[in-house]
Amino acid sequence: MKGTLEKFELAIIDGNADGSADLADVIVAEGRATPAEIFAHLSSAMEEVGAKYETGEYFIPEMLRSAEAVEKAMSVLETYLFERKDGQAGIVVMGTVKGDIHNIGKNIIVSALRAAGYEVHDLGVNVSAKKFVDKVKETGADLLLLSAFTTSTKPALLEIIALLKTEGLRDRVKVLSGGASHSQAFADEVGVDGFAADVKSTLEVCRRLMGES
Amino acid sequence: MNSRERFLAVLAGEIPDRVPIVPVVDGYFAPKVIGRANDECYLDGACLADALAASMTEFGYDGAIAEMGLGPEPSVLGCPVEIEGNDVPLVVETIVGGRDDLENLIIPDPWSGGKMEPVERLVAAVGADQAVLGSVRSPFEYAATVRGLVEFMTDFYRDPGFVHDLIDAVRPATVKLAEALADAGVDAVVLKDSFASTSMISPDHYREFAFPSECDAIAEIAGRIPVILHICRNSMPILADMARTGAAVLEIDSPVDLAAAKAAVGSAVILKGNIDAVTVMEKGGAADVEAAVEAAMGAAKAGGGFILSTGDSIPRPAPEANLAALVEFGERYGNY
Repeated sequence: MKGTLEKFELAIIDGNADGSADLADVIVAEGRATPAEIFAHLSSAMEEVGAKYETGEYFIPEMLRSAEAVEKAMSVLETYLFERKDGQAGIVVMGTVKGDIHNIGKNIIVSALRAAGYEVHDLGVNVSAKKFVDKVKETGADLLLLSAFTTSTKPALLEIIALLKTEGLRDRVKVLSGGASHSQAFADEVGVDGFAADVKSTLEVCRRLMGES
Repeated sequence: MNSRERFLAVLAGEIPDRVPIVPVVDGYFAPKVIGRANDECYLDGACLADALAASMTEFGYDGAIAEMGLGPEPSVLGCPVEIEGNDVPLVVETIVGGRDDLENLIIPDPWSGGKMEPVERLVAAVGADQAVLGSVRSPFEYAATVRGLVEFMTDFYRDPGFVHDLIDAVRPATVKLAEALADAGVDAVVLKDSFASTSMISPDHYREFAFPSECDAIAEIAGRIPVILHICRNSMPILADMARTGAAVLEIDSPVDLAAAKAAVGSAVILKGNIDAVTVMEKGGAADVEAAVEAAMGAAKAGGGFILSTGDSIPRPAPEANLAALVEFGERYGNY
């Protein structure tokens, strides 16, 4: 018989938003699952959704349905996960770079970071370099997360890094780029401090970069 | 046989002297040919028309794609549009938050705000010897645009009835614009349904939402002007459906196996495609273009019913030499 976390994972894979929210309520009521366990099942669910997309079983609407299931669950779990934090984990500015309107992955990362105790300023999609840099300046952000679905967004990433340098902010903020097509080589080319391709690695890289800052 | 005769012969079901060459050269690439930025041309109708005409003159292909300008208040059905530098126009705000907003949708007059000026100017510049194609968004694509792609596709499961109502509400925009393009003198209209691709939605969702709206729109348009149905990326699983929409031509993208597509649709419709606009035209060289053109001709030329094209818009960074090569090898391998 499956446990609550396994059922929670399946509800997300199936895109059952009401089910994932109900199971999140059960997780809170039971009070046994640790944040690490919850995120492990969340990552596993999204990896399975991604795999189904790769094999042609799922398409964009099915991925969005699962993303909605994550969002509904996270709205329930945020308080539970926050209660287990010792204060703010850091300030994050995040958005999808100019020329790119993908927001599914970004929204999931935003939810996960908030749940992990970060103060997140979500700038949305198709965000200009100036908007990113202005927000970093305004908030005194520790981390700047740049979501970019494909490597064709390289000029936009380079522009942001260049503007951070011009404004004298590059040494004050750690920059992380994320997207399914990202690699260490791509991160090196655009001059960011780290990269991540999924929820789990984003949280890990953020923790590492915060330790360095 | 001149370029326009060649293009119209294929539409009439005849075999021309050679395969017509009508690549998707639009406002993303053409401004580069006259040394202007894309935003300059989209915001200045004369610049856009002159760029499209100059590109066809420079490279000698058989048909131009007439694009509308953005006019003084750039928008798509009331959604604000921005363009910067050499990007393409991008909708930056959606206007349909829910069902209540449907009654506030305004279908604009295509002739207002000077948006049709580039089309008229291009038709006049091209003259009678070369073909001009217009392009319009499909009802499905308009609906996704005014609702926002993420919300629209989330609605497929959340509220499918709303998706149908939204598509019905915006269909007059597609039809009115296609009629205006016919009045402006274009030879055919490209019905762009990029989001209906099975790279994005399942064949079942295509049949539930996009296909009926394509059929409805084409039924209203095709009496005035031939329709070319464009779906980006992979459309192989729905090709037989596309062939039943009433479109005269299917514009298919590079992921589709052209020979398999030809076998699937037979002589029911004309195929237009499908040289890879990025891998071949932008990233490749002349040898890559030659190989792709030769393969396309080998797959689809026999028996007629084929127009050589790129599968999608040629990006601005593509070398001009590759467009010249497309025409050169299209002429070399396309003779009947």
